[in-house]
This record gives sequence, C-alpha cells and structure tokens, in this order.
Amino acid sequence: MASLGYYLLLAAFVVCAYAAAISVGGARRRSRALIESGVGAFYLFTAIMAAASAVIVYAFVTGDYSIKYVQRYSDSTQPLFYKLTSYWGGLDGSIMFWVSLLSVFGAVAVYVNRERHRELIPYVVAVIAVVEMFFLFLMIVHNNPFSTYLTQNPTDGAGLNPLLQNFYMVIHPPTMYSGFVGLTIPYAFGMAALITGHLDDSWLRAVRRWTMIAWLFLSVGLGLGMIWAYEELGWGGYWMWDPVENAGLLPWFTATAFLHSVMVQERRGMLRIWNVSLVITTFFLTLFGTFMTRSGIVQSVHSFGQDPVLTKLFTGFMVAMLIVSFGFVIYRMPLLQARNELDSWLSREAAFMYNNWILLFSAFFVLFATMFPTLSEAITGERITVAAPFFNQWMVPIGLTMLLLTGIGPLLAWRRSTFENLRTQFIVPTVSGLALGGTVVALGIPIWSAGLCFAFSGFVVGTIGQEFWRGARVRQQTSGTDLFTAFVGLVGRNKRRYGGYLVHVGIVLMFLGFAGSDLKKHETLLMKPGQVVQVGDYGIRHDRIRVTDDGRKQMVTAEITVLRDGAELTKMYPARWFFRKHEDQPTTEVAIRRTLAEDLYIVMPQFEPGEQSANLEITVTPLVNWLWLGFGVLALGTLIAVLPETAFAFASARVPEAVKAATASMILLAIVAPAAVQAQDGTGVVTRSAEQRQLEEKIICMCGNSGCVHATLVNCPMRPACHGHTAQTAEIKSLLDERKDVDQVLAAFVEKYGQAVLAVPSNTGFNALAWGLPYLLGALGLVTILLTARRWSRPSAAVAGGGETQMDPGLDARLDDELRNLD
Amino acid sequence: MSHKATKIGVTSLVLLTAFGVLMYTTLGESMQYYKYVDEVTAQPASVWKDKRLQVHGHVVPGSIGKKRDTLDYRFEIQRNGQKLTAFYTGIVPDTFKDDSEVVLTGRLTSDGFVATDMTAKCPSKYEAAAPPLGAPPK
Repeated sequence: MASLGYYLLLAAFVVCAYAAAISVGGARRRSRALIESGVGAFYLFTAIMAAASAVIVYAFVTGDYSIKYVQRYSDSTQPLFYKLTSYWGGLDGSIMFWVSLLSVFGAVAVYVNRERHRELIPYVVAVIAVVEMFFLFLMIVHNNPFSTYLTQNPTDGAGLNPLLQNFYMVIHPPTMYSGFVGLTIPYAFGMAALITGHLDDSWLRAVRRWTMIAWLFLSVGLGLGMIWAYEELGWGGYWMWDPVENAGLLPWFTATAFLHSVMVQERRGMLRIWNVSLVITTFFLTLFGTFMTRSGIVQSVHSFGQDPVLTKLFTGFMVAMLIVSFGFVIYRMPLLQARNELDSWLSREAAFMYNNWILLFSAFFVLFATMFPTLSEAITGERITVAAPFFNQWMVPIGLTMLLLTGIGPLLAWRRSTFENLRTQFIVPTVSGLALGGTVVALGIPIWSAGLCFAFSGFVVGTIGQEFWRGARVRQQTSGTDLFTAFVGLVGRNKRRYGGYLVHVGIVLMFLGFAGSDLKKHETLLMKPGQVVQVGDYGIRHDRIRVTDDGRKQMVTAEITVLRDGAELTKMYPARWFFRKHEDQPTTEVAIRRTLAEDLYIVMPQFEPGEQSANLEITVTPLVNWLWLGFGVLALGTLIAVLPETAFAFASARVPEAVKAATASMILLAIVAPAAVQAQDGTGVVTRSAEQRQLEEKIICMCGNSGCVHATLVNCPMRPACHGHTAQTAEIKSLLDERKDVDQVLAAFVEKYGQAVLAVPSNTGFNALAWGLPYLLGALGLVTILLTARRWSRPSAAVAGGGETQMDPGLDARLDDELRNLD
Repeated sequence: MSHKATKIGVTSLVLLTAFGVLMYTTLGESMQYYKYVDEVTAQPASVWKDKRLQVHGHVVPGSIGKKRDTLDYRFEIQRNGQKLTAFYTGIVPDTFKDDSEVVLTGRLTSDGFVATDMTAKCPSKYEAAAPPLGAPPK
C-alpha cells in the first residue's frame, strides 16, 4: 500500500510538471491543443491526488501500522471518525491534504473559468501547478507520509493526541486549509493577468468571488479554532497571540483589505497596483504562515522541532515567489496606472484606503511582534520575547479604529462628501452610538476599552440600520410594494453590498464579545468538599470528586454545585480525562454554563483524590457567546454576497427568504448545536441515563422516609451511604426499566411519599434560553418564509396602485447612483 | 508634482516617527529577556534586577515542594549544572514534574526567581501530535 501511495505522489509530480510546462508552451505558441492538454493534465493530477488520499485513508482505516505516519497518528481503538481525520493530524499528512485540496480548488476554478477567461487559463494552470510541485517536492524528499518502518512493524499505533480528538479539531483544520488553499486561486489569476498583460478589470471578477469563498473558510476556520481553544484547552480565553494563531490571522487581514479595495478599483479604476500587490502579499502570507509554524523558526508553545531542511526549502521558494511576482508587477507598471485621482479625503474611496491602511498595519504589526523574538536574536544575539499584553496594547486601539471605520465608511459618498450629506448621514449613527455607549458606561462599564467598544458598535449598527432602512424605503416607493418585500428585493438586487453589511453586523457582534472578555472575572481556588466560594454572582460549592472509567480513558470528575442567592442554580462537572497511552497528557474537560449574558466556565487542573479536594479555575466571561454568534452572522452575510447571481435571482423570484433563513438557521445550528453537545459531554461521565439523572434532580432524598434533609437525590449530603438514597435510586431505576416515563415515575413517587418528595424545579431559565436560541432562530426563519410567501402570493396590482412617491431628490440620486453601480 | 511628493514624504516621515516612538515606548514595558538558567547565573544578580525575564531550564528532580493547602510551589531549575531556586503560586501545567522543561516568566530577587507565569514544554509529545496550523496552544 505504502509504495502505491508513494508512486502516486511521484506520478502526481510528473503530471504536474507536464501541466505547467505544456500550458506555458501552449500559451506562447497560441496552440489551443497544447493548452487543452495542460488543463487535462491538471484534472488528471487532481484525480491522482484523490487516489493518493484514498490510499492513506484506507491505510488509516485498515490500520496499516507499517506506515510511520499511520502508526504515529492513530491506533486500533480509535473510533472510525477519528481514524479518517487522522489524515491531517500531523505535518506530513497535512501537507498532502493541502496539496489534494488545492488540486480540487484549482480544478474547479479552471473548469468554471475556462471559457470566460480563456486567455488567462494556461497561466492559471501553470502557477497552481508550480505551487503544487513545490509542496509535492517537499513531500517526496522530506516529509513523505508514506514512508514505512524498515524493520519490525509495530503492531499498534501511538494514537492521535487526545487534544485533537474533538469535534472542532476535526473540522477546524480542513476549514483553515480551505481558506489558505483558496487564496492560491486569486494569486494564480493575478499572476496570469500580470504575465499575459490582460490587466483590464476582468481578472478581478474571477478573483473576487474566489477571495470571498476563501475568506469565508478562513474566517470560519479561525472561529472554530477559537471555539476549540475555549472549550478544550481550559484557560478561559480563546486567543492568546500564539504564532500559530497569528499565522492564520495574517492572510485574513490582507484578504479583508483586498475585498474592500477591490471595490475602489471596480468603481473608480484606482489602486490597481495596490490590489494586485495585496493578492500577492496575501498568498505570500499563507506560505509564510505555514513556514513559520512548521519550520520552528518561531518559538511557539507548540514547540515544533527546528527543521533546517524545511527552513531552507521554504525560504528558497518564498524568496523566488516574491521576486518573480513583484518583478512582474514592476514590469507591468505602465499597464497598472490609476485612471482617476483621489478627489477628496472625505470620500468613500478615502474611507476604503483608511480601512486598507489599518488592516495592513494590523498584519504588519502582528507579523512584526510574532517575529520579534527571532529578529532580536538574529540582530542582537539575545532572544527577547513579547507577550500577549503587548499585542493587546496595540491591537485594542487598532481594532477600535477599525470598528469605527466600519461605521463611517458607508456614510461617506463616492468622490466627495459635502457638509450637507455628512450631516444627514451621521445623525442617526452618532445618536445610537452615544446612546449605547452612554448606557453601558452608566451601568458601570469602564470607558476604556469596553465602553468605547460598545459606543462604536452602536455607531456601526446605526449606520447599517440606516442603510437598510433608506434603501428599503426608496425601493418601496419606487416599486410600490410594502416595506418588507422592498427589503428582500433590496438585498437580492445588491447582495454584495447588503451581504457585506451583514458581515459588518457579524463583526460588531464579535467586537461585543471581545468587549465582554475585557470584563471577565477569574478566580483560582483550592477547595475542599462542602466549601462554598463566591465568584461574581455565583456561589461555587465543591461537593466531591468521582473517578470512573469507560475502557478508553479514566475520568476524574469534580461535582460542583452552582448557587445563586443561596438557591441551587445548576450542577457542573469539570473533569480530567486520562486517555490510554496518553496518561501523562490528561485532557481538561471544561464545564461551561452558557447564557447569552455570560458564561460560567469551570476547570479542574489538579485534584487530590484522597482528600477529595480540587483546584478550580473559575472564569466568568460576559457576552462570549456573541462572538460565536458573530461568526455565524458573518458566514451568512458572506454566503449572501458570494452566491451566484443566477441562484439568487431564482431564489428571490420564488421564495426569497427560504434560502437565507434556512442557511441562517443551519449555520447557527451547525455552530451552536455541537457546542451544546460538547458542553453536555462534560456531564457525560455519569453512567446513569438522562431520565434517571433528571429524576434524581427532581426528587427529594427521604433519608429513610423522614426527609430530614431537604436535598435532592443528586446532592443529598448523606449519600452514597444514605439508606433513603439507595432505596429511592433503585426505585427510580426499576420504574424506568418498566418503561415508565419521567412524569409517571414522579407520579408514582408522589403517591408513595406525598408532595414533599418533589423538589422545586431548579432555575433553568437562562440555560433554556441559551439552548433554545438556535431553535428560536430557526422558528424565526420559518415565520419569515411564511410571511414572504404570503406577500409574494398577493396580487401585486392591489398594492401597486397606492400613492405618489415623495422623496428627497438628493438622497434618491445618491442611492440610485450606488444601486446601479454596485451589482 | 514635487509639491505633492514633499507632502507625501513629510506625512510618511511624521507617521513613521510616531510609530517608531510608540513602538519603542510600548516595547520597553512588555519586553522580556529570554535566557537559559546558566546564562542568568553566569552574571551577577544586579544585572537582572528589575528586568522582566523568561528563564528556560529543567526542573531538578526531587526539588518540587508545595506548601500544604495552598498553591505555593518552590522548586529548582537547572541547566549545565547551574541551578536556580524558583517560586511560583498558582496552578501548574500537567507536564510540570521532575526533569520537565519549563519556561518561567517573572523577576529575579535575592531569594530566587519569582515566577508569575509558567509554561511547561514537552517537545517530543507535541512533535508527535502537533496541532495543525492555526490551532491555538495550551
């Protein structure tokens, strides 16, 4: 098997080289046959990579431990799901996964654009093929995932790192890679345009959508990484400016900058050198990010070993890529002259430029600070590190400026803004910003930085609301429909623009999440059983420590009762899991109580089974769920903007909201539901069934028919030795075994012991809200669909008759101008 | 044209200077020297006084002591035969044990190194299962 895989890689390399050479040859000789052959070779290459992937996946599933990579990243006891995903669990496999993904992305991009951008295609193929060749070369000479043990095959694998055996870790890397890989496509098109000199704006059209798709993947990937860090690593935060995180963030900044500045080029023909440079820089940063984290040149807590060979190979490739790319930019400079000059610093164009500067500066700063230890060692010989506070010191003001610009940009007119339209534009956002900012400051939130963040968020929401409102009003009056229909039509007609605004809403939600994290409370406690400590509004009581085993791992669980105002709120179960073969690397199972307002987050890093005492780290983070929600909204907005025109026209003609509402609820479900499952997983150590658990929480322990202590079965202080406890739990179990449901069991208990046996239902209101949110949103989507369907089915003549349209001619002209020009 | 060039030039100069000054001042506060134990002990303690320092070394086997019912740790770290006493209060990483490789952040005092932060390394383990790109660290 291993040699088959290796030969496939070799074949892939040869085919790739052929595709690159024949495409360039064909383009130079203008031979259609040669070009076609190059495209065909690229498709073949994609097929070969798919076959190679199939081989390694097969090896994982069948447990072929003669292959080193398989042996190191899986074992026979792993569930099938994790066996499949071990493919990208390590370095060698992740490079191969990268190559395969890029081949698929490339093949799709070539197929979609083969007629529309015929003149660019051969060079697109060549550029992608060259990038692929580099990574294939790495694999063949240095990181071969198919290399085998020469002597003595191990009989079982070492197993995947338990930290990676998590839902988010399974989908996070592919999403992240898709983002990185997707950014190669814009680069290939940009280079093709530079090489051929077809530098009219047509290449931008091909590139724009791909950049958006890649950007979507990258954003979602970053979000998933953050959720993973938050839920799995147990330090109460989600971002710590580690080089590996920064590597993913760098191209995100420049890609975001490009998505904004490309509009200036489309509208005004300006920033043409800038845009092509951004595309190149973004691609460079994806390479650099990979290099930074893989070669060990930057000290990360991940501590990859130094790898001088990889360093040399990567450096060579990156330098060559930069020289060739920017060489072409300089060579094509005359074709890249701007067609217009900036009219005013108070214009939309200028706003886009500010936005670009800020984003680029962020990228530069993060790059600089990440590389600082390496740089300082190279220059002064002393390794001087900078920690997370340094990043925050800079990135907080930068982020706030970025947020404010998000609100200001859409308010400025193209070319120049007059004082008059500044006044009409700024009133609503300013008022809403001041109102929100004032309210939170009055509630005692410090102005710096959370208060400002709220104020700016209010400003941005004011801006976006105003844009939606005015657009919908104008459309309502011109088309004579009702406001709601006008709103849907508005988004459908200008999906890039209004999808973009929705992305901004997502960003605002995320910033509110950041502001909340600024206000978090953190406590480290050493607790004995029965001890109660107050953290924020919560009383935390440590009940006991329990040790269980499920065959694959040993689980040490702390039972924590959370009290509010003396009443029991909920129970939480932070745990430590000791996986077989990874006993020295226990995983931290965080217990999280989520609400929209704040998360209560409990970790048990250490414990003393003898004394039943536990060290607990307790974090109360306000608004953190808004961050995840923000990612959902951002994804939804991007999807609206990215969906093909035709798909949307069809959708908005029939059931316009269906697509969006369904997507919305699906995305939110996809994001929130696993979170719910994951969080409940923390309580999954309990061997009792859900019903039984539920009943034990509802039934008072009678402690031998007397009910001396008013406590439920779950937290009866006398248990497990308590006579009543044992009898009652046994009773519950037998009743359940008789297939009685929860209510019937409760009824049976009331009959036997009287009403006193029922505990007051615990306060689960907040919890219910948090869990119910996705379903609520889904229901909201459904209502929207129904509402729209009803409006659509109404004969339009009935509404079309009414009223003359009255509107401000200036506003009309401005909206008209913008609606016409932004697709 | 030259007028425009001057304007751009002056603006960028002002911006660059401002950036440089800001960077320098903020760096001063958050800069940390990254040293191995023997590099620290090689110089008199006065050199490191009031400097934020990261010290890298191995935990001396058997040196870890913990005050009962607290999170106060006292232990020694070493490299190339040079030892340094360290104090740390808080929850220690799982991989903190005899002979493990640690990086401590804090200040050097006359009693020893008072750490405010501790990172334990386990390179071989992470190497064997390096979290993929973009994965945040422990």
